[in-house]
Amino acid sequence: MWRTNIVPALAGLATMLLSGTALSAPVTVWIMGDSSAKFDELVAPFETESGIDVETVAIPWDSIDEKLTTSVASGQGPDVVQIGLSKLRTFADAGALLPLDDLIGTYPGLATENFADGVAGAATAVAGQIVSVPWVSDTRVLFYRKDILEAAGFSAPPATWDELRSMAKKLSERGEGQYGYYIPQWDSPLPVVMTWSNGGDIVNADGNVDFSPPAFAAAVDLYTGLHADGSVPQNGDFDQTQGFISGIAPMLVSGPYLANAIAGAAPELDGKWSIATLPKGSASGTSLFAGSNMGVWFNTDAQDESLKLLEFLSKPDTQIAWFKLNGELPTVKSALADPVMAEDPLVKVYAAQLADAKVLPMVPNWDGGVGGELLKALNSIVLTGADRAEALANLSAATADASIN
Amino acid sequence: MNRRLAPYVFVGPAMLLLATFGVFPILVAALVSFTNMNLGGLARWSNIKFIGFQNYVKLFRDPDFWQALWNTVFFVGLGVPCVVLLSLAVALLLNRSQGPFFRALRAFYFVPAITGIVAISLVWSYLYNTQFGLLNYLLSLVGIAPLQWLSEPTLAKFSVGLVAVWRGTGLNIIILLAALQGIPRDYYEAASLDGASAWQRTRFVTVPLLSYALFFVSVTTLIGWLQFFDEPFVLTDGGPLGRTTSISLFIYKEGFRQSQFGYASAGSLVLFVIIAAVTLLQLRLRRRDLE
Repeated sequence: MWRTNIVPALAGLATMLLSGTALSAPVTVWIMGDSSAKFDELVAPFETESGIDVETVAIPWDSIDEKLTTSVASGQGPDVVQIGLSKLRTFADAGALLPLDDLIGTYPGLATENFADGVAGAATAVAGQIVSVPWVSDTRVLFYRKDILEAAGFSAPPATWDELRSMAKKLSERGEGQYGYYIPQWDSPLPVVMTWSNGGDIVNADGNVDFSPPAFAAAVDLYTGLHADGSVPQNGDFDQTQGFISGIAPMLVSGPYLANAIAGAAPELDGKWSIATLPKGSASGTSLFAGSNMGVWFNTDAQDESLKLLEFLSKPDTQIAWFKLNGELPTVKSALADPVMAEDPLVKVYAAQLADAKVLPMVPNWDGGVGGELLKALNSIVLTGADRAEALANLSAATADASIN
Repeated sequence: MNRRLAPYVFVGPAMLLLATFGVFPILVAALVSFTNMNLGGLARWSNIKFIGFQNYVKLFRDPDFWQALWNTVFFVGLGVPCVVLLSLAVALLLNRSQGPFFRALRAFYFVPAITGIVAISLVWSYLYNTQFGLLNYLLSLVGIAPLQWLSEPTLAKFSVGLVAVWRGTGLNIIILLAALQGIPRDYYEAASLDGASAWQRTRFVTVPLLSYALFFVSVTTLIGWLQFFDEPFVLTDGGPLGRTTSISLFIYKEGFRQSQFGYASAGSLVLFVIIAAVTLLQLRLRRRDLE
């Protein structure tokens, strides 16, 4: 009896070993926000096709720092992790991500040239090493109230920042408590975007943070000028969605999430507002390339499975499926160029803007370091009347040792 | 034998807890404060280096730390007298009657102390909101221009302090009220017979007999305000421009947002020394008073 039972059992085991499917290690994926159920739906075809089991864990955006600290400290992380671009350097510096330079060649789907230039390969490399693969993109565009601009005699949104400044001034003269534009006091990328539009950068050729270029000075002129004109609200608790819907701030620069918020909160405004690519400075209309990449955890025991999953996620079809499921924009060029992206007029603008967009410099700890110091300097000038030269000198001193290397 | 052991058996568990969760972490923080411990050090211990007093030198040169220190001094100077005096005044008033109305009021004053900080922050940020806030609406009724309660750098300090005072009085009122009710009626009767006025009875009977409770309340309140954290954390996150960042919030940001564990530990050691020094000073003054 014993003999007759063990033979089929052994045969079954041998089949499993040979086919290799059922024994693939499961891949644990950390997905930011609350879209893990949709992610499960997205990867279902991958699971059946490859036999690799994908386990999705949702990580709230707020708790990513704590989660990273505890998982780095304990050495127990996921296999694949979604990383917001502003956190990429922190993750890489902590040694949490597997360097991918030598591995990408083996997985044709991950080839650098497949992805949008603003985020591909070297653009998001940390200290010269590729540690992640682009996943979803996000950018900033100009939101404007067509009805209010027309009432003030403007038939089109501003094409340049100078035009925006003069239009904002005129719009703020509509009455007490009315403004023309809105600068969020927590928006550290905005002054950098303004610098880019003037053809400069805040990182010099050696990779060190440098606030001395004239393009940055011009950005400071614009930032402080909008405040000096009385064109922007000065209260830090100004609500941008309500401000835009009520028309108090009829122009502002924000991301696709604001479009969803406006459509949800004020469907009656439909047709009265629109978006456009960013106004141009003296050089370009470059915007911020934001979004998330995917990285492989440094000590994963499912390296091949993880990279196969990343390859699946980088397929144009998967990227479009995710856009339809969750509304997040693709990073793969051919997906961005897909006709489905042109169906929605808003998405068309986002895609156009993504073609001219850059990621923030990969300095350690943008929010708490360079970005925070930048906001502190600019806001001290506009809110407390601090001396401009002194504030900028303090900024340079505080960020002197920040570098992308 | 048993008699000699008994005190240790009773004190033991508390000492063990104190050593594990009080003394040991302080020692670890002291050790970490001499290292360059950060996220990279957490991943691989070989990345951790002892750097002597560098963290402390950097700390005392950091304008953000000094700003946080002076902010904390401001909050202590504003908050402690306000909380103690206000608690005493309310407790004296509540003590005037034991009727159902006064008992209801007692509960009313205690509610802020037991309300979750998240709920408090939500309610107060709506009250303070520049565009939609109730406070600015009330001001507009009497024709005063809206104030930027949490955005104007100087006003924000007072706004945040006010919420903490409101929240801090509840528990102290109950403590003082309990002490007040422990004062025998005979003293007041005797004082009345001698012709003491209501004010004189309060000043020369109540306050001296309350001195121990008042001392307790002022020590705990002072320590609480030196560790001031919750209100600026939920209302302003230390802003605008760092004007409401207390030392605790500074330490939290350095340690948990920027993962500079060594640097943050140095900051927490400095705060520990300040609190220990101030509390010892209070105990000394109290002892001299009693003598």
